[in-house]
Amino acid sequence: MELSEQTFAQKFDLYGCFQCGKCTGGCPVSLKSKLNIRRLMIEAILGRNLDRLGEREELWDCTTCKTCTIRCPRGLKPMDLVIGMRGMLVEEGHIPKTIIEAMENTYKHRNPWGKPKNKRTEWTKTLPEDVKVKNFSEGDRAEFLYFAGCTASSDPRIQEVAKALLFSFQQGEVDFGILGNEEQCCGNEIRRMGEAGLFEELVEGNVNRFESYQIERIVTMCPHGFNVLKNEYPQGRFDVLHTTQLLAKRLEEGKLSLKKEVKKVVTYHDPCFLGKQNSVFDEPRILLKAIPGLTFKEMDRSRERSLCCEGGGGRMWVEASSDTGQRLAEIRVNDAVELDAEILVTACPFCILTLEDAVKTSGHEDRLRVMDVTELLVEAIE
Amino acid sequence: MNIIVCIKRVPETTDADISIDKSGKDIDKSSLVFDLNEWDSYAIEEAILLKEKLGGTVTVISMGGEESNESLRKCLAMGADDAIRLTDPAFNGSDGFATARVLAEAVRKIPYDLILTGTQAEDDGYGQVGVVLAELLGIPHAAVVNRIEVQDKRLKVHRELEGGLEEVVEIDLPALLTIQTGINEPRYVSIMGIRKVAKKEIKSFGAPELNLKADEVGLSGSDIRLEKVFLPPVGEAAEILEGKPEEIALKVSEILRDKGGLS
Ligand code: SF4
Ligand code: SF4
Repeated sequence: MELSEQTFAQKFDLYGCFQCGKCTGGCPVSLKSKLNIRRLMIEAILGRNLDRLGEREELWDCTTCKTCTIRCPRGLKPMDLVIGMRGMLVEEGHIPKTIIEAMENTYKHRNPWGKPKNKRTEWTKTLPEDVKVKNFSEGDRAEFLYFAGCTASSDPRIQEVAKALLFSFQQGEVDFGILGNEEQCCGNEIRRMGEAGLFEELVEGNVNRFESYQIERIVTMCPHGFNVLKNEYPQGRFDVLHTTQLLAKRLEEGKLSLKKEVKKVVTYHDPCFLGKQNSVFDEPRILLKAIPGLTFKEMDRSRERSLCCEGGGGRMWVEASSDTGQRLAEIRVNDAVELDAEILVTACPFCILTLEDAVKTSGHEDRLRVMDVTELLVEAIE
Repeated sequence: MNIIVCIKRVPETTDADISIDKSGKDIDKSSLVFDLNEWDSYAIEEAILLKEKLGGTVTVISMGGEESNESLRKCLAMGADDAIRLTDPAFNGSDGFATARVLAEAVRKIPYDLILTGTQAEDDGYGQVGVVLAELLGIPHAAVVNRIEVQDKRLKVHRELEGGLEEVVEIDLPALLTIQTGINEPRYVSIMGIRKVAKKEIKSFGAPELNLKADEVGLSGSDIRLEKVFLPPVGEAAEILEGKPEEIALKVSEILRDKGGLS
């Protein structure tokens, strides 16, 4: 271990902790995992068990939802302690195999899913003829860079969302372009898995590309990319929007006409990285409520109190350390079913994948569909 | 225990579109990414684990161009002490035998107790270099090893046989083992870890330093001459079944029965 216990506590600013337990109280995984973030704080302060971090599988259970940090009355950053501890394990090299694969894929192919880097834009080949996509790397210029993100570039389900999105951009007269095969991982998950060096490298590569194409405005549908580009990339240089923000604006300006009725009962799941971490609560709801015929119902745990789906912080690439307790995404699906919702809408690729999985595992396929806000918008446009 | 590990940097071909290059004797590697050969990553991890337990040094050797430094650095970051690259235009086109000959000359310069190689390489898959190297050096070897127990001046090693069988053999040191995947869990090498070894010297030797003549290595020193490389011919069109799962299942069982797959 490189850090002495003293500097460890100083580095993560642990000394202010008065062990109130609000962090653990709010932690969505504490019910089903050995991870106890309050206890981790005190053990780190006392320097206890720090040399045996490798045995703590539960460190990988944290979804980096940030509830603990947001709720800490002392303004401490317990989530950063988890990330810091993961970082120590990363430097020692002894981390779960699937996490290693995600990181090595990101190093080699610039995405954690392992899709070959020269196939990143393959999904654009199946776009409808009338959807035109500019490409910065081929000399085009546009007002917005549409940062597709790794999941939309790799996963067939999320590619459907990306296609719907480009269609609604076109309807809303958004002047956008993509980076083509030059786009690379934003690094949000990589940083949260503890690979600080790789994160730096990704940021440098992306920023250089943005600047070489004079890109100033970026829009993305992935809240994880949105979060890191907005808050952790060099500040003040890029104006970063989530797609729901941009589309809500276009709606307000009268540029999106939602004419077709969608007679469905719908509820909305706030993604952690969009909602509680970046306070984008209203825009997705504004868009949904503007769809004619739609009945919107709010779940009890919504907005700041939204339940994490367990897709963040690297959890797309590693299973929880224990199988006790229900998957949070299943709890979420049950919440939606109890409301008699027919569609569970969200605005994050990871949430879509985890929730859709949970719909299947909980046997609700006949009752509930999972959709992205944009997919539903497109139904109202066409 | 002083250990030498022979490694290779190879292109990754899973999920990639593969085409044959102009020579007709190789695949076009221009758009591929490269990494340490998977079997070698287990070999180097095993060497580091032995070093952590017993002390000694780990030296990695690779025959290849300057780009092999990338894989050698990865091994240094994992914990190897020294790295040697064997580079000479005369080495190009070496088959497994010629490669082993080059490696043997480099190995002779270094004191060692144990040599580890991967069982095979992901790209050409000959699986020869390790065993030929042992022959050339006149030391015993065991291939496809998935467990090592150290007993003083000898090793007890488990060899993976077919059908889940394992063979246990005892082997005197110095010896050479070709390592099978799964023997351990190769550690992750972080970017910061790579940066830390970025300045570390990698020694490089060519044919003259190894006292090898040009006709002993490369194509002229090889017994195997590659005629051509080609993609498997595309078979007849596949039949895509449509319908509900139960209908598809019915059709599949009918097809299987018709073709004699179900009796
Ligand atoms: S909420 Fe803050 S002060 Fe309270 S136990 Fe957690 S880290 Fe300590
Ligand atoms: S970030 Fe979320 S999952 Fe991780 S410890 Fe904090 S509250 Fe728990």
